[in-house]
Amino acid sequence: MSAAIGRVVVVGNGIAGLTAAHALRDAGYDGELTVVGDEVHAAYSRPALSKALLADHDDLTSHRLPEPTHGAVELLGTRAEGLDPDRRRVRLAGGEELPYDRLVIATGSRARRLSDLPGEHTLRGLDDAIALRDRVAARPSVVVVGGGPLGMEVASGCLARGCEVTLVSQGTPMAPQLGDHLAGVLVAAARERGLALVETRAARLEAAGDEAARVVLDEGPLLEPDLVVSAVGDVPNTEWLAGTGLADDGVVRVDERGLARPDVAAVGDLAAFPTAGGLRRIPLWSTAIEHGRVAAAALLHGESAPPLRLQPYFWTEQFGLSVKVVGDLPPTGEPTYVEGGPGGPALMRWDGAAAAVDHRIPIPRLRRLAAGAPAAA
Amino acid sequence: MKIVLDRPRCEGHGLCEEAAPHLMHLDDAGELVLDREEIGAEDVAAAKAAARVCPVAALRVE
Repeated sequence: MSAAIGRVVVVGNGIAGLTAAHALRDAGYDGELTVVGDEVHAAYSRPALSKALLADHDDLTSHRLPEPTHGAVELLGTRAEGLDPDRRRVRLAGGEELPYDRLVIATGSRARRLSDLPGEHTLRGLDDAIALRDRVAARPSVVVVGGGPLGMEVASGCLARGCEVTLVSQGTPMAPQLGDHLAGVLVAAARERGLALVETRAARLEAAGDEAARVVLDEGPLLEPDLVVSAVGDVPNTEWLAGTGLADDGVVRVDERGLARPDVAAVGDLAAFPTAGGLRRIPLWSTAIEHGRVAAAALLHGESAPPLRLQPYFWTEQFGLSVKVVGDLPPTGEPTYVEGGPGGPALMRWDGAAAAVDHRIPIPRLRRLAAGAPAAA
Repeated sequence: MKIVLDRPRCEGHGLCEEAAPHLMHLDDAGELVLDREEIGAEDVAAAKAAARVCPVAALRVE
């Protein structure tokens, strides 16, 4: 390790930044470490927010992670507002500057919004999740705009709490993420549980009084529920990097070790890594962890550190089904069933991907299946 | 130190196994098995790494 590295700053306290901080220590770094997080909360599990945390039975602990052991100075509730990569300084809200020898950029992303209306609710952070959970307790009628995993999980959670729920989607929900086959399985389960599905070319929101919003479909109809939740993707938080040349197209481009330059790594939802399909953001829990590990080693050891070898792992829980998927997403065409079959618990594979539906399986085995290994355990 | 599993919480993602394969594994039914619960100093870092990657916080090291 270079003797010159005595100060590392990690900006972002989600799972990507948290993992990078721990990975630096695991790799032997014992210098000053500072973690900056804009939320006052300790790092938490974001996947849990739209799953267990929405449920009535959850005791508001399902998102909690173990206490960090990285020994960093934690500046929580503190936002980074600027970066001078030549002088190696992070500027914090309030004007204080943090000097560094190595920097980890892990400021993640935020919910993309369709409007500025107060009646448009989104779910991205812990505060959002708790607010939504409270609103749903009164069993409002709900329209969810967006048919990706988050929209479907929110719709599922609201249905389970006794709400009448309509989901508005461009095309079949989940198809862009999981392919037509798995999307069909999930949509069938959703309908069976009472979800109303509306496909539209486009939807926009307009005000309905001071607090509420209504949904206007491109084809004409208006939807006027008690509660509108949008789940239409995420926008990387790169504004604080303006003028640095590190995020000119709204993402931070990094090499296969997560480095944007030799002294700066970027990890998690805002980082575009090289993949077989070109430079891509893959905003998933497991990806953020892999990014954090790889980039921490690269910051300390440069090109002698191993590059990222990513086989994305994704899971969702919705409408009573648990789906775990590994490999190149979305898988195309019909799968081969390895165990089980249509309509029940099943293990299936495509060329380059594998999925388990309501089927507990060691993920390393799912990874082997996705990679084309024989089906035996 | 000791690894503690909150079994009802475990969803079998197996990210812990990838972090500490010598301490735990998912069996053929997808249930997590702790191969060692009492751990020595040499395994604490791996056990903590396993606990930290669990998205449902089902593992503790204490």
